[in-house]
Amino acid sequence: MPPQPDPNAVFLNIPYDEEFHSLYIAYIVGLFQLGLVPHLASEIPGGDRRLNRIIQLIQGCRYSIHNLSRVEVSVAPSATPRFNMPLELGMTITWQILNPDQHTWFVCESENRRIQRSASDLDGTDPYIHDGTVEGVFRELRNAFRRDGSPSVPRMLNVYRLVDSRLNSIFKENGTSNPYDRSVFLDLCQFLTSLANFFPPAKLPV
Amino acid sequence: MPRPVAHITAPWPTQEEMEKSLGISKARKRALQPLVDEFKAQLSRLEESQVTTIEREKRRKRASAA
Repeated sequence: MPPQPDPNAVFLNIPYDEEFHSLYIAYIVGLFQLGLVPHLASEIPGGDRRLNRIIQLIQGCRYSIHNLSRVEVSVAPSATPRFNMPLELGMTITWQILNPDQHTWFVCESENRRIQRSASDLDGTDPYIHDGTVEGVFRELRNAFRRDGSPSVPRMLNVYRLVDSRLNSIFKENGTSNPYDRSVFLDLCQFLTSLANFFPPAKLPV
Repeated sequence: MPRPVAHITAPWPTQEEMEKSLGISKARKRALQPLVDEFKAQLSRLEESQVTTIEREKRRKRASAA
């Protein structure tokens, strides 16, 4: 039997590419501000087979977010569709069907109705449409996760801008400019866990 | 079509609980502390400045209504 999932943990199934940087940071910032802790496949140290590590991570998280907005064919010379995100969504759906009380998954897209073409088997489940914007990510996270005392979108944007302005220091600390790097992700999280006392925002002056 | 919605009633997690979930080491936490403190102070100042702006606007409205 797998252990009970962490009730505040969210597995983030996202594309690790340059165009997604700002939305990736937005997901991390937004989830922390809703009192949730993001987890990424890249945070798990190597050793075991990657798929095994990913399924263990999904099992340990009460929720998961699957961003299918960039499943398109890459522009590289050998154009290849990106299957990792649908693959991880499929694994999650199987896990959730077998353990309905232990997991809830959410699908995000940037465009309305595209999912009906890219993954028509998901018919019957509406995705959260973030329009490919940071503000849209915050709006949809607040729609998906309802929690008393959740901050407003402008307040979430405040934190986002501050975190964004600190990114270079975090990159420098870790000797990389890759925001998806495990050490960068954990340092970003460290910054945001330090704000736990700021949340719920009911503690803040209105 | 339905969309799943999570109605979270669990208490807001503490900093320690979040750190445990992520496996953040104490050494890394110590190393980042100066940057984190600066970040928190900056956020506090920003929040405070916005509160002041909102309060100022409320006062202006009250004054014009009087």
